[in-house]
Amino acid sequence: MLEVKNVKKSFGDNQVLKGIDLKVNKGDIIVILGPSGSGKTTFLRSLNFLEKADSGTMDFDEIHTEFSNASGKVIIKVRKKTAFVFQNYNLFQNKTALQNVMEGLVTARRVPRKESEERAKKALDKVGLSGRYDYYPYQLSGGQQQRVGIARAVVVNPDILLFDEPTSALDPELIGEVLAVMKSLAEEGATMIVVTHEMSFAQEVASRIVFMDGGVVVEEGSAREIFTAPKEERTRQFLRRIIRDYDYVI
Amino acid sequence: MQLNTEFMRQTLIDVLAGVPVTLKLTFVTLLLSAPPAFWIALGKTEGGKNRGKISGVYVSVVRGTPVVVQILFLYSLLPTMLNYLIKNVFRLDFNIFNIDAVWYAYIIFILNTTAVLSEVFRSALLAVDGGQLEAALSIGLSRRQAYMRIIIPQALMSALPNICNTTVSLLKNSSLAFMMTVKDITAIAKVKAAYGYNYIEAYLVILLMYVILCSVVQGIFRLLENAVSVRRRAAV
Ligand SMILES: Nc1ncnc2c1ncn2[C@@H]1O[C@H](COP(=O)(O)OP(=O)(O)O)[C@@H](O)[C@H]1O
Ligand SMILES: [Mg+2]
Repeated sequence: MLEVKNVKKSFGDNQVLKGIDLKVNKGDIIVILGPSGSGKTTFLRSLNFLEKADSGTMDFDEIHTEFSNASGKVIIKVRKKTAFVFQNYNLFQNKTALQNVMEGLVTARRVPRKESEERAKKALDKVGLSGRYDYYPYQLSGGQQQRVGIARAVVVNPDILLFDEPTSALDPELIGEVLAVMKSLAEEGATMIVVTHEMSFAQEVASRIVFMDGGVVVEEGSAREIFTAPKEERTRQFLRRIIRDYDYVI
Repeated sequence: MQLNTEFMRQTLIDVLAGVPVTLKLTFVTLLLSAPPAFWIALGKTEGGKNRGKISGVYVSVVRGTPVVVQILFLYSLLPTMLNYLIKNVFRLDFNIFNIDAVWYAYIIFILNTTAVLSEVFRSALLAVDGGQLEAALSIGLSRRQAYMRIIIPQALMSALPNICNTTVSLLKNSSLAFMMTVKDITAIAKVKAAYGYNYIEAYLVILLMYVILCSVVQGIFRLLENAVSVRRRAAV
């Protein structure tokens, strides 16, 4: 469904992505792991052109494009086929939960208002926010805001959902509710690319794990392969550090 | 000292005739300045190089000079310049020196207010979190849609107090229109005062008049701000 090759990106003379390849099939749950600063966010943002990669190619269903010279039309097309869930939610502050979820339907896709509202309500119900349609973002907890963020992404039926550390801005007791929503999406067959530090989520849900470090993909494999028999020393080191912290938190 | 109250009553009645002129000067200027001000503000925040530079010069000239000097300069320059254009470039048979002076007042105040408002809008746009634009783009909105539906409404909300300040100072500055022979409340009071040498009484009347007008404007903006935040709260 989606295949990107040799994605490169520099900020000044800081090369952040040094040629990333990734292939995504329908129904894949790809979890990207890696230390902070390894380029995970930049890569994810490049996929829907929030960041403009310097080079590389994208094949996305009928779309074939270079990252460097993608036209405005292609960019909008890709954005309509994907949806992004942000680390700090980025809900529209001037809109209610329901309006946040409707916006992508009504304005971007010209879906009639009535149908949009029904679909948006269904999406909010699904993430457990049926009583919060008319709340503004500042009236919701972080976990609720992020679930609105997920509903806003899901409602447009994107081909691929992109999650950038969706739980890392949340208080520990609110993480579970968001992960539960993501798990149920995975069970329904959604295609997702998830950057996260939640190892239990990665272990349970990922169909493939990609370990990134220093702007390259160091290793890639099933959850079992990565967690029980990592081939690369860098992967091992990272897991040891993360799992120790993880134990420590518990 | 004895105030001539009968004269003050008379002046008040005469001055009231100038109130619509003052208000029109203020609000028409405000409305016509807002769109170009937004355009300049966007040019600066969105980084269009040349647009940013040219508007930067314009804004600093306007902000770095007294309004009185702007009026003196433009009011002497504009008629001559327009006359030249009409006669030599467009070759029209039209006497520019016959047009109502209020048009010059509009041009000058719009040039001035556009610069001030562009700074107000610019800081308001910068105050909107960058994630808002990214979220809008990520769900497939065009840049234009994102600005119209997400960024500008939020910017306007946070700009309201500064727009209020701009309006009040514009209302006060509009008193300088008398320099261009516009019959606003200040001009009327000046004529009345000179007639019987009742300067103190005449100016006291318009002083109070400006206090009242400015308070009303501030009151309206306060209502507006409340309405915005009540609408958000009432939604619960
Ligand atoms: N907009 C930017 N401008 C300059 N440097 C950036 C920008 N965004 C990210 N970087 C740099 O790119 C590197 C990778 O960042 P990021 O993709 O956020 O990593 P991760 O998400 O894996 O923590 C970091 O060194 C970061 O400082
Ligand atoms: Mg990151």
